[in-house]
Amino acid sequence: MLHDLLQGLDAGGFLIIQDSCSYSGRRLLWSFIKAALNRAEVVHVLSFEVSEDELKNGLQESPIERLHFHNAYSDPLGWTSRGAFTVDQFCVERVAQLAKQSSRVKPPILVIDSLSWVLRHVSPPAVCKTLQQLKNGGFVGNLISLLHSDMHPRGMVGSLCQLATSVITVAAGGDQAKITRRLKSGKVLQDEELFSIKDDLTVVGQSKPSRADPQEQEADPTANLTFNLRLSDTERDAKEKLALPFVFSKEKKAALLHTSSGRIVYEPDANDDYDQEDPDDDLDV
Amino acid sequence: MFAELNSILNVSPEHFTTGEFVLLSDRQSDASFLMHHFLGFYLRAGCQVCFIGLAQSLSHYSAVSQRLGVSLSQAKERGQLVFLEGLNECSAILNPDGVRTGSEAMAFLRNPGAGLRALFQFAHSSVNHSWGAEERAGDAGGGPPVVLVDDVSVLLSLGVSADAVLDFSHYCRATVCSQLKGNVVILLRCDREEDDYDDVGSDEGLERLLRGLTHQCSLALHVQGLPTGYCRDIHGQVEVCDRRRRADGQQKKTTFQYKVHDRGASFFAPGTSSAVL
Repeated sequence: MLHDLLQGLDAGGFLIIQDSCSYSGRRLLWSFIKAALNRAEVVHVLSFEVSEDELKNGLQESPIERLHFHNAYSDPLGWTSRGAFTVDQFCVERVAQLAKQSSRVKPPILVIDSLSWVLRHVSPPAVCKTLQQLKNGGFVGNLISLLHSDMHPRGMVGSLCQLATSVITVAAGGDQAKITRRLKSGKVLQDEELFSIKDDLTVVGQSKPSRADPQEQEADPTANLTFNLRLSDTERDAKEKLALPFVFSKEKKAALLHTSSGRIVYEPDANDDYDQEDPDDDLDV
Repeated sequence: MFAELNSILNVSPEHFTTGEFVLLSDRQSDASFLMHHFLGFYLRAGCQVCFIGLAQSLSHYSAVSQRLGVSLSQAKERGQLVFLEGLNECSAILNPDGVRTGSEAMAFLRNPGAGLRALFQFAHSSVNHSWGAEERAGDAGGGPPVVLVDDVSVLLSLGVSADAVLDFSHYCRATVCSQLKGNVVILLRCDREEDDYDDVGSDEGLERLLRGLTHQCSLALHVQGLPTGYCRDIHGQVEVCDRRRRADGQQKKTTFQYKVHDRGASFFAPGTSSAVL
């Protein structure tokens, strides 16, 4: 499913990549940017957390002429007045204006790195409203965003993921992705996949995490011992031929048991005359 | 400056990477010995250093650096070191009748909700010039600028929010690391146990600040005591996590044990302490 998402989201799609401080999802985000650039799509990156140099170094060998970088990293709060995008400009009008800077017919893809930065300064309802308007208003074709799920309460992360059409959670360990996709028909698909990202940002999917592994590959208990526990063929034959002392074959049982001539004769005597209602025989009735 | 730590991090005063954001953190232990290492390291490397000392006085750092072979007073005299003595400035600001008015950098003490913009501007202006450029006319000036902060958990206890500290560290990173191609080293001390796993995103300032700084940093050194308890010969373990972009996307984490001596610290692989072997 990861490869399907890399091929492109549906129109109006919103993908959230969730990561944590143990493993950063930024390289996966860059893989999505590179895949979009390779498909000849226009990509606008609104970056709060990485500088332009870092992004362009990461995206080496990609056709970056279709990449528009909007610098919200140098001065997002207006402290140094360097004229870049500030976080309080995160509203649908300003962001749509950024997206219109490219002159293509098709609405571009907008990448936000990261939403966690915005959520620290803009209230969550305002952020959700802006994202929803961007998604549905046709200003951008697709939205892809990075979210640090360990920086916000679970409820906030949940609300944002409700808005998204696809969510990829990068699990600690770094190579496992849990993917949830909401199709337009209302169906929800979930999957877990192993992946790795190569130097040139291509994603290589590996087989699913196999749960059968513990059952295979049992260690051979007779290996690596200082004494010999193995049997040779002759020893194995002799073992199987051995007659155990109290395990009898059918012939031996018949010879010992005399079952054909046995007959039991019973004559009840006085002690066996058992009265159910007076077992001790002492009632004076 | 600890030679063994230099070899672990693969750096030397003549050759180190710039644009680094180093996070030193500890949990129920004391990572300030690492701060003395970095201070001595960058002074030896000839960098323009701005040290924001909120936890201890200048005389404390001078005394420790003297033992490590670095003279802070000489560095201050030649303009290589700018030292903000937080403790002195606090008393000046909180005492309105005093003679000194206190540095504007500590203005957040009067108004913690306003954020750390003044502190950032102080740090920026301190490193935005090259020391000794007049004396060494032929040179391009001093080394890259470095900002060291010891330590940010003091800011939290003074009423500054975790978000404000994260904004401050973001600006340090954007200006000093990316624009001026320098380094930033921040120490964060967490005294509490990791007991708030239930609600990872809650506004518990210290844990949230630690996670936020971990996301921002490129190199994290985490100091904690030995999990098995107190040991006289091994003072704890350091986990070095290199978050820079690696070929396979994985972070490189290595653990070392350390012992702090009178004039330095020694680092060794777990289980190889000289007391044990």
